[in-house]
Amino acid sequence: MGSRKMTMVEALRDAMRLAMRSDSSVFILGEDVGVSGGFGGGFTVTLGLSDDFGHERVMDTPISETAIIGAAVGAAMTGMRPIAEMQYGDFVFCGMDQVVNQAAKMHYMSNGQVKVPMVLRLPVGATTRGAQHGQSTEAWFMHTPGLRVVCPSNPYDAKGLLLASIRDENPVIFLEHKLLYGSKGGRKERTSLDPLAEVPEEDFEVPLGTVAIKREGRDVTLLANMLMVHRALEAAAELELEGISAEVIDVRCLAPLDIDTILESAKKTTRVVIVEEDNLTGGWGAEVAARLAQSAFYYLDKPITRVAAPDTPLPCAASLERAYVPSAQRVIEEVRHLLRD
Amino acid sequence: MISKIVVPNLGATGADVTLVSWLVKTGDYVKAGSPLFSVSTDKAEMEVEAFKDGYLRKILADPGSVVELGEEVAIISDSMEESLPIVIRKSQSLTANRKSTQPKSQSGPEAIVSSHRRSPSTPTQDPHDKLTVDGLLGMFRRMVLIRRFEDYLHQLFLQGLVPGTLHQCQGQEAVAVGVCATLRRDDVMFSTHRPVGHFLAKGTSARSIAAEIWGKATGCAGGKGGQMHLVDVAAGAMPSNAIVGANIPIATGAAIGFRLRGLERIAVSFFGDGTTNIGAFHEGINLAAIKDAPVVFVCENNLYAASTHVSLTMRISEIAERAKAYGIPGRSVDGMDVIAVYDSMAEAVSRARQGGGPTLLEYKTYRYAGHSRGDPGGYRKKDEVQKWRQSDPISRARKSLIEEYQQNASDLDDLEQACQEEVEEAVRFAQASPDPTTESCFGPVYAQRGPT
Repeated sequence: MGSRKMTMVEALRDAMRLAMRSDSSVFILGEDVGVSGGFGGGFTVTLGLSDDFGHERVMDTPISETAIIGAAVGAAMTGMRPIAEMQYGDFVFCGMDQVVNQAAKMHYMSNGQVKVPMVLRLPVGATTRGAQHGQSTEAWFMHTPGLRVVCPSNPYDAKGLLLASIRDENPVIFLEHKLLYGSKGGRKERTSLDPLAEVPEEDFEVPLGTVAIKREGRDVTLLANMLMVHRALEAAAELELEGISAEVIDVRCLAPLDIDTILESAKKTTRVVIVEEDNLTGGWGAEVAARLAQSAFYYLDKPITRVAAPDTPLPCAASLERAYVPSAQRVIEEVRHLLRD
Repeated sequence: MISKIVVPNLGATGADVTLVSWLVKTGDYVKAGSPLFSVSTDKAEMEVEAFKDGYLRKILADPGSVVELGEEVAIISDSMEESLPIVIRKSQSLTANRKSTQPKSQSGPEAIVSSHRRSPSTPTQDPHDKLTVDGLLGMFRRMVLIRRFEDYLHQLFLQGLVPGTLHQCQGQEAVAVGVCATLRRDDVMFSTHRPVGHFLAKGTSARSIAAEIWGKATGCAGGKGGQMHLVDVAAGAMPSNAIVGANIPIATGAAIGFRLRGLERIAVSFFGDGTTNIGAFHEGINLAAIKDAPVVFVCENNLYAASTHVSLTMRISEIAERAKAYGIPGRSVDGMDVIAVYDSMAEAVSRARQGGGPTLLEYKTYRYAGHSRGDPGGYRKKDEVQKWRQSDPISRARKSLIEEYQQNASDLDDLEQACQEEVEEAVRFAQASPDPTTESCFGPVYAQRGPT
């Protein structure tokens, strides 16, 4: 079996197809995920899967986020491995009780008698749709014990992490950035990056709880996830021209968090910039910064710095959104500032 | 542990012997070596002794019947809480005639009826005919166990001896018991913040519930759950839920999973009248309806959402009417009559198992206690409580057992006393059990992945 160039959407779809073929307990549920003649969920990720697996296993639901997530919890508790989709990640808040009070707590509350092996896929990221269709929601889940939080930045990781998530024994919040999907036709995002990558066609897993060093460097560590990984890499390329060597770490899994690799990098470069699309206060970067402060304080030459969205709701206009979402330029400026003296 | 009592090889020349009489009755604790029953062979009449200690749970051969050597004639178990395998006695009619003048059956209370579907060959006008005396006795015993458990806890609570919170279900026993009596062990039940009755009805031991309430390592959730979060997956009792309405989509999902796998299992969701106003109720039932999920939605309408009367929270008088909105059957049933509960539930279970989809059952019931500890129920008039107490489900079942099923009142007294002892023993067990270790606080948060 070889490999081929895939977009994120193709890689995610490939992962679900393989998982459903190899395990009859895997099924998909969500809004518009399997409608014949429809569009395969919000962003075409499930397109065609109902042709392969039927409408029972690619189950369309009413607009009922509580029921979608709750049904996934109940099915998972009794032997299935559901993959539930929120059409937009923001809609998860309609079903938050099922995520936080139910999925996350059942294993502990039952003292291990039940487990909840489910995946909840959330399309996230600002795409000129305004404050209720573009939030980065990972911090909400990272704060909740019992959940895994996964946030890939590229097609290879998307496939490998999704396969690992489906087979994990716990509820996994799987975030997918809309500007990375590579959706086609009417579902294509105007400003999308759509990274293509060579992805093995075979079944493989990227272990949860790992980060990926995307670029090695000496002077500063840039920590980022999803779209921000690409912004950080763009910044690193630019900084290299100025003689600054930036290490870029893709924090592709927030829970469990591979803090050791992050600490190691921080101790090496002595400077850390965290790049996140979420609002600044209480974001995932805040948690990582706190851990760095505790465990790498004496190694750091400069204060840990965060580049994040401001503490306002997400605006809609493209010009405002550009100002809101961290850019490569902002990352470059922060790094320059850190290295100034 | 469940053990079978079989007719031993008595040195008889013929293959069959006659079982003359039973020397113990169901529920008795028998010691190894004590006589259980007498038989007559072609040579002599003799007594057969128990080979081990245990509770006599079920008698499978009536006095006077001819039994084969090696035939199973009774079941004993180490505790009264172990669930019994369903045994259908081929030689006997499963349908008791309520008006019959047959001698009192010696069969025990544990034999929850094994046939709840009306046999096509024996059409009958009276739905109560579906219940055997064993079935009703079994349900009576469960109801008494729940009542005694709750009353004893209340008594201890008043003395300040019960830790944590307390949501009691006195008055609602018929719903828990009538519903669970129709279920198989591997059918799953999703309960609420008031779960004790449901769990005792589904077969969880009083010991593990009491120990959980006392926060002990021996509790059904090792002390992590407490009174509102009981769990006993082996008995089909899934983690009970203290978020109103949350178990409705969850039960729906379990049922969808069963159907996808082609299993005959069903799911049951218990909830109160207050739950029918939360969004999860609507979303969950609607999803179950459109997917024909094998789930039964059981509303215990006890008239009060905490202290708020149902008339203040909805403009309809029958919650079952809400079923219409989802295109599924709905029924309002007297929840103080365990036989009516049993019958209506059996019909819904049968429909679900046969692919007919969900049913919404509303059981009109009443909780004698307040909503939770520290709620004396000052929002209710005394005569209202009195009125409901007059149709007490346990009194009614007892009356039915004596007047229609020809049961002996003193036997029922004995059974009640046995329940009381079981409850007190369970609490002693809980109090004497060790606290969980401090380390157990830290896990299990995540389930480990097994070898793939």
